[in-house]
Parts: sequence; structure tokens; C-alpha cells
Amino acid sequence: MKFIRTILDKVEPIFDKGGFLEKFHPVYDATDSILYSTNEKTESGPHIRDSIDNKRVMILVVIALIPLYIFGAINIGYQAARVSGIERAVLENFWVGMGSIFPILITAFFAGGFWEVLFAVVRKHPINEGFLVTWALIPLIMPPTIPLWQVAVATSFGVVIGKEIFGGVGMNIFNPALVTRAFIFFAYPGQISGEKVWVNIDGISGATALSVPAAVEHGNAVELLSNITQFDYSWSNMFWGYIPGSIGETNKFLIILGALFLIYTGIVNWRVIVGALTGLIATAMLTNFMASYSSNTMLTLPAHYHLVMGGFLFGIAFMATEPVTGTHTDKGRWIYGFMIGLMTVIIRSINPAYPEGTMLAILLMNAFAPLIDYYVVQGNIKRRLKRYATE
Amino acid sequence: MSQINIKKGHDIQIAGVPKKELEIPERTQTVAIHPTEFRYVKPKLLVKEGDNVKIGTPLFFDKHHPDIKWGSPGGGKVTTIHYGPRRVIEKIIIEIDKNEETIQLPVLEITQILESSKEKITEQILNAGLWPMIRQRPFNKIADPAAKPSAVFVSCYNSAPLTVDLDVALDNKRSAFNAGIAVLSRLTNGDVHVGVSEQSISDTFMDIPHAKIHSISGPHPAGNVGIQIHHIDPLKPGKIIWTVEAQHVVTLGRLFLEGVFDPSIVMTIGGPAVNKPTHLKTRIGTAIQPLISDKLNNVPNRIISGDVLTGKTNDKDGHVYFYHSSISVLPESDKREFLSMLKLGSGKSRYSLTNAFSSFRRSLFPFNTNKNGEERAMVPLNSWENVLPMDIFPNPLFRAILANDIEEMEQLGLLECDEEDFALCSFADASKIDVGAVIRQGLDVLEAEG
Repeated sequence: MKFIRTILDKVEPIFDKGGFLEKFHPVYDATDSILYSTNEKTESGPHIRDSIDNKRVMILVVIALIPLYIFGAINIGYQAARVSGIERAVLENFWVGMGSIFPILITAFFAGGFWEVLFAVVRKHPINEGFLVTWALIPLIMPPTIPLWQVAVATSFGVVIGKEIFGGVGMNIFNPALVTRAFIFFAYPGQISGEKVWVNIDGISGATALSVPAAVEHGNAVELLSNITQFDYSWSNMFWGYIPGSIGETNKFLIILGALFLIYTGIVNWRVIVGALTGLIATAMLTNFMASYSSNTMLTLPAHYHLVMGGFLFGIAFMATEPVTGTHTDKGRWIYGFMIGLMTVIIRSINPAYPEGTMLAILLMNAFAPLIDYYVVQGNIKRRLKRYATE
Repeated sequence: MSQINIKKGHDIQIAGVPKKELEIPERTQTVAIHPTEFRYVKPKLLVKEGDNVKIGTPLFFDKHHPDIKWGSPGGGKVTTIHYGPRRVIEKIIIEIDKNEETIQLPVLEITQILESSKEKITEQILNAGLWPMIRQRPFNKIADPAAKPSAVFVSCYNSAPLTVDLDVALDNKRSAFNAGIAVLSRLTNGDVHVGVSEQSISDTFMDIPHAKIHSISGPHPAGNVGIQIHHIDPLKPGKIIWTVEAQHVVTLGRLFLEGVFDPSIVMTIGGPAVNKPTHLKTRIGTAIQPLISDKLNNVPNRIISGDVLTGKTNDKDGHVYFYHSSISVLPESDKREFLSMLKLGSGKSRYSLTNAFSSFRRSLFPFNTNKNGEERAMVPLNSWENVLPMDIFPNPLFRAILANDIEEMEQLGLLECDEEDFALCSFADASKIDVGAVIRQGLDVLEAEG
């Protein structure tokens, strides 16, 4: 791989100070530092450093997402074949699915990359590797039939409003990928609001699993789901992901694997995930208990169904655990996670407008995260002041 | 004896661990003292180039506290005084004579020490020019002789990587050590606390009269005196605690038992670039060259006075700093690896506190000076919290310091902190932020506020 290094070294002067493309130094820097590890040395303080850096952190999240891409592609192909009534090999399904995913991926890369580079050039900071994760997440939370121009507009919104206006990765208050999705959710509700799912064949659509019980009064959610014939909404099928939906969120097994991998590598904090699971299960049990007093069918949905429906697991594994926009204290992480679980069930069950609530729950708790941290830190301060006063 | 178990922290498995044997190298030709090393001190010289000095002759004093002087760690001739920008005195070098002379001070038996007043003890230490060995918390600066410390802490557990094993260093020095502790007990109305490693087998620490012994277990930074204070007798505003290095306790003990400043000290030389890492008997402020001449592997290396986490970059013609008792040598590295962020990384090529690489840290790791990444905005992955065994939130504290919010810094417990306790946070941080430097910046602000 020596020749790559040679090329990089050769073009470097063009991007250096006084060079022809001096302004675009962040682009060179990003390419250079993604391909080659840094040769920066410690100056003082700790003369030795751990091998982990932000690039490794971000790339591991992307690696955890790759299985979801593969399954997402297979599933898109499978759903299309199923609706058309044809049998196809897995590999064929995969290529059909990639036909849908690839344009979205490319669009998100160029739309987001454009703003990243623009901000890096204007504000003279390096291009942050955090974009890799945002970019990898965006297609996974889009339906395969999303118009590409919407992807481009929404990604721009997500990157600029969700991240760059705050100063970039590390300073944002909302998860940029979720801001992207929220933008489409509110601006173009026809495409993504969670009521209907699209299969990538023109004109075919159906109700999402979550909107089935939401549409009927005085019913039993599980029974209603098993009555649906257009798609197989049984618990196990929803767990294994052979249902139409957003590209990356359907296979719960792979999501759990990805989450375990990230917890093991020390990148994701398990407290958020466990907190969210606890919150969801506790609230779902509460709504089940209340169900007999209400006509709302959603209240009868058991906790284990809540878990495999919609984007909940995907959201808590890859979105809620984002370290910057979540809470920064361990105690806070429990509260933050629990509230996400709780809000998800409340929005799903009690809110009449949106069948799915994970995205809104996470964004809402993103907004509250600094407040939660504030109280946790104040607790520490009070304890200390108390000790100062005694003795 | 109380037991203190510290859970958080990390013992870095760095190669080049010093052998537990004491080597006696040939006597150093020169010694030096670096006035810039002492925080918040305004040095004023008492000698000039060409002067003859004895061991203990005052070399300079602090303008803010004229009674605090620095005794020469060697007898001979002042050869060079290095000045930095704006005539800052950087370094005073003394060439040692064959027949060194020592300033003789009154000798006190241990019973006499215990009967002496605080003033008398203070006077003897000041006269010997050894007062800088006594430092105070908060701020980790030289103690004010007039202050009334509520306790004195001595950590006899060096947990930082490649540092002196005090079982080796204090072997056969029990009487001098106990005399030193007796001296310290006269300086405070409170207790003298000695933190000893749970694994220590030295009889020096078995039974120390006039001190409370605490058995400390746990990974680095459990041996840091600041961590021990935090767990035993935490600081609060207005409270002052004095601290002394374990080997300096012996020096202070000898000062009273023998009436002389004995500058000898045990140091380590270690690190991945050292081929025979060991303990050495040498003296305070020794020249580095004679100690490392036959021990270094390849070039280029970075020679560090102190440990690899908190030490200062030095060079082979330099001298060890006053408070340091180790020399660490690391290979310099500016290698760039192709697509390294995707590589699995074995235990031989990657070392991490996280499991982000497929390394299981079974063997010692040859660290070098590569930063392993570029500095980025803070991404709170809990890496700081996992290595800081204190009831302190490092992340809000760090932000409060950057925001220069003095009230919040104090409320979040900055007074209990010292930069050395945060060195592991910088080590572990994925964003490559120097946390300790920011902590020091905050302490400087609080110190200036008074």
C-alpha cells in the first residue's frame, strides 16, 4: 500500500497553506487520517496513550450496523417477491434490496458530506469521523421507497440543524440521524409517519404492525395482529424481521447482537439500554392493567410485543445510547433510559396521532438529558456541601 | 490499621518494569535543581556561578516566603545557571567535588524530636533547606510553614507505572523513617496518615509509631496521596493537609538523627526502551547520563524525568527533577499505519482499556509516544469515570473549568483534586484530551483567587 502513501504525500502541498486548494485542507486531512493512523506524538502529561480513538469508536458502530444492512437488503427483496408471489434465492433478494438501499446510501453520503465539508472549510475545523455513524444510520431508519430528494433534504437538515450549528460532533444536543428522520416524519408524513409501510413495488402498501391495534377500539391487540393476512405479524416473525418496515429496524436478533457487541467493546453504555427495557416493560404492564377500563386496543399490547414492534430496539441500541446527546452520568443514564421506554409506550398507546413513538421519545429525552444530568450533579454538590458543613 | 479498597483505576501493563534489586552506579558528576519546577514560587538566587557550596548550602529562596530556601543536593562548585525567557531561572547545576562537605545542624534523638515544639522542628527543616519536601493540599504546592495542617499524609504505595517499589527503597531504613514520621507528627495537631500497599512485605511499614497506617489495595491511582486523602480524611474549603514523599520522610528523619542533609535516594530506570530496567541508589537531582548510558536500546527515545503518566520530558544530558524518583524511557514513534482503524489489533500491537481491539493484555506492552489519535471534542464514553476512584464528576468539573465558573469548580470538588489523579483519564480518553492540564488550569485560577 506504499503507493497510496506516496500519492497522498505528493498531493499534500496542494492542500497546505499557500497551496492551490488550501481551503479544502479538511478534505485532504480526512482522507489522509482515515487511510493512515496519525503520527501525532504526546507532548507532555501522559506520555503514553490508550490505543482507542474516536475513529475506532465510530467505525465500530458502523461495523455493528453492517449485518443490519445485509439483512435489510435481503428483506426488501423478500417482501417484494412475496407480494408479487414469486420465489427468489436469498442472494437475488439481496441484490434487489441493494438496488433500493444503494441510492439512498449514496444520496445521504453526498448530501451530508457536502455540509460536513462546507462547515469544515468555513469554520476551519477537521471533518469529524462522527459523520460516518450518522451516514450509516440514516438509510437504516428510512423506508426503502423513500424518494431520494427527501433523503437529500432531510440529511441536509439533520447534519446542519442537528449537529453543525452547535459546533459539530460532541456539541450537538439532538442525534443528527434522528433529526433527519424527524424532518421527514413531520414534513412529508405521507412517506414515513409509521402508519403505513411500503414494499418497493409501485402502489403496494399496508398497515404497519403498530397501526393495526391502534385503528380498532375494544379489541385485543395480539388477536388483531394474528388476523392480518397481508403480512405475517406473529411475534416470532417480527423478531426475525421478515416484515416490511424501515430498512434496518426489522431484524431484532441482529440488533441485539449489534448492541451486545457495542456493549462488550465499551462504546455503548448498557445502563441506557437496560433502563429503556425496564421502562418499556413496566409501562406496558401498567397499560395492560388499565386496558380493561378503556376502549383503547393499544393498551392491551403485551410488553414482549412492544419490544419487537416498530423501531424500539433499534432506537435504544443505536440512537439512545449515543454518548453525546444522552445523559453523561451513570445515574442519569438509568433515568434517561427508563424515560425513553416509558415515553415510547405512552406515545404508542395513548397518543392518537402517531402509532410509533420511539423516535419522538428519544428526541424528547435528548432535550431533557442536560436537565437530568443537572439534578444528578446537584445531588453530588449537595452531598459535598453537607460534608463541608459537618465535621 | 484500616483497610481501603479502591476499585476504579487501571494498572497499565507497560514493558520495562524495574527489577527489585538495588544497583549502585558510579557517583554522578553533577547535580541540578530546577526552580521552575516549584509552583507559585518566585525564586531569588543566593549563589552565583563559580561559588563553592556544601551539601545543604541554600541555593535560592522564595520571594513570597523568604524563609523557604533550597539546600544544595551536592557539595562542590556552581558551574552553570540556566536562564530561560525573561530571565526565568531554569536550572542550577553543581559540579560535585571528590570530598564533599556537608553543613552540620543540631542532632536530635527521637525522644527529643517528640518533645520539640512545632517551631523548633520547622526551623531545623527550613535551615537545612529541605522545607520544599513538605507540600500542601489543596493545590499541591510547597507548604506555608506558618499554616496549621489538620493532618499529614505519606503515601508508601507507588502505584504509577514503573515507579520505585518502596519495599526496595526503604529496606533497612526503618529507624530513619520512623524518626521522619515523628518529625511530621510534631508539625500537626492531627494525625500522620501512612498509606501502605496491601502487598507490601517490608517490616518498615509493619508498625509505625506516631502514625495511623492504612492498608491500600487497588489499581493506580490508589497509591496517589490525593486519592488516599479523599478516602481517609477528605479536604474541604479552609482545610489544609500536608503531604511528603515516602523517601523524603527518610531524608527528614536523617536530618534530625544525624543533623545532615543526606541527598541519597532510590530511583528506578524503566520503560520499553530500557534493556536493563532496575532500581538505583543515587541522589536527588542526579544527572541522567551516567544512569542510562549502558541501559538504552534503540534511538530515538524520549527520556522522561518521573513516571510515564505525569513526568516531564527531559534529555540525556538533563537532570532528574526534585520530586521525581524515576526515569522512564519510551521509544519515539511517528509510524503511520495503513487503515489501522479497521485492524483487529492484537495484544502486541494495540493496548486498550476497552475491548475495542482483540487484545487481551496478557503480556507487557511496549508503549511508545504515539498519541494514537487526534484531539477531538469530548465524547463522554465514561472512560474518565472508570479510572477515577473519587466521588467527583470529572465531566461537569472539566466543563466548569473551561467555562471559568469559579463557584461551580469549588462546588464540584476541585479543591480535592490534583492533576496527577487525572492522568489516567487522559490516558484512557478516546478524544485525546489532556484532562490533567485542565484540572491544573482550574487549580491555578482558584489559587489566584485565594
